[in-house]
Amino acid sequence: MSEPAPRRRRHNTRKWHRWLGLIAALPLLWLSLSGILLNHAEFFGLNDRQVSAGWVLKRYHQLPEGEPRGITIGDRKVAFWDGLTFLDKEFLEIPGQLVGAVALKNQLIIATDERIAILDGTGEMVLDLDELSLPPLPIETVTVDKERLFVFSGKSFWRFSEDFLRFEETSTHKVFKSLPLLDDADRESLSNAIMTRRAMPLSRVILDAHSGKLFGWPGWLLTDLAAASVIVLTILGLGLFKKRQA
Amino acid sequence: MTALLLSGGSAFSADRVYQKPSEFIQQSLGKIPATQAIALSSAQKKAVRAIIGKSYKTSSIRYWSAGSKTAFILEEIGKVEYITTGFVVSGGKISSVKVLVYRETHGWEVGRPAFTKQLVGAKLTAGNQLNRQVRNIAGATLSVRALTKLGRLALYLESIKK
Repeated sequence: MSEPAPRRRRHNTRKWHRWLGLIAALPLLWLSLSGILLNHAEFFGLNDRQVSAGWVLKRYHQLPEGEPRGITIGDRKVAFWDGLTFLDKEFLEIPGQLVGAVALKNQLIIATDERIAILDGTGEMVLDLDELSLPPLPIETVTVDKERLFVFSGKSFWRFSEDFLRFEETSTHKVFKSLPLLDDADRESLSNAIMTRRAMPLSRVILDAHSGKLFGWPGWLLTDLAAASVIVLTILGLGLFKKRQA
Repeated sequence: MTALLLSGGSAFSADRVYQKPSEFIQQSLGKIPATQAIALSSAQKKAVRAIIGKSYKTSSIRYWSAGSKTAFILEEIGKVEYITTGFVVSGGKISSVKVLVYRETHGWEVGRPAFTKQLVGAKLTAGNQLNRQVRNIAGATLSVRALTKLGRLALYLESIKK
């Protein structure tokens, strides 16, 4: 003898509710926990903590790519890797791709294709010259002769004034050095410096994991499914809440 | 499931470049004058530290002058990245502000004229504070603070330039 229809429907509803609840439990638990954490990010100090794990940085395209290059000036090493410039493994806020570095009197001059930074003997940046104070970009390389800075850009040589604020075209031909590749030891320490520099705030990582964005389309899909499962569970639950018919 | 999640896209975002600094100077001053620089003395560095809460990124700060107008291209960190902003100061008042490059992931709303116009006309009071309150933008608090500090810095620099 078969079950009466309402009883069978109720039985099926309970079965769906139970299994869907089981499947959705873990994602829902994560969404709830991460939601609470995000709501109290300041209290938990999530804005101050940084995540530098390789797999997380990879998700944000923050792992260094390409080959690191560098140049040694006296006892200082200027290096460049994947858009970042370093002086003795300390990050320097100089946009562009490193094209050269030279010493002039007691100053260190670091040139990228779009900026020239002048640092004093202590490593303090004295001037940061951009397109407004430079010959036509991109700068191809730099050198020093007779205590003056020379820049090669726009197929011309440019000679800078002593205060670096003016420059004039010159016909003098200068010899420029190319940037050699870094050895493995320097590469390793630079990689660690880059990962520390590019570490993401924990709150940002949790927010992107909460929304699923951190994991790309599979994460979005999973988050959508978890949200849809709450709707279905609610409907099924309300159906089960109704009194049994006699 | 982990493999599936790790095979998706990324969450990376790029810089917003609103205007090149040279275009800002050209537009604001009508030409690009010769670059000049203020080499900060120890006392001036101290004053700058009091304004922005730390040393400025360079110990000499460039400016461009035409007539009574002086333009500065200043940079300050919002949360983790620099915000490049152009200021024109004339007669002790900010006459023009424009966010030129915004590199932070959140808070780009400070680049909107609706926000920056609050700084236009602002002057420095005795304690190197602005003579007006700048409204905050929810979610962009650090960027708002950075721009406010840069506004104060631009006014201070104009007052000490020779």
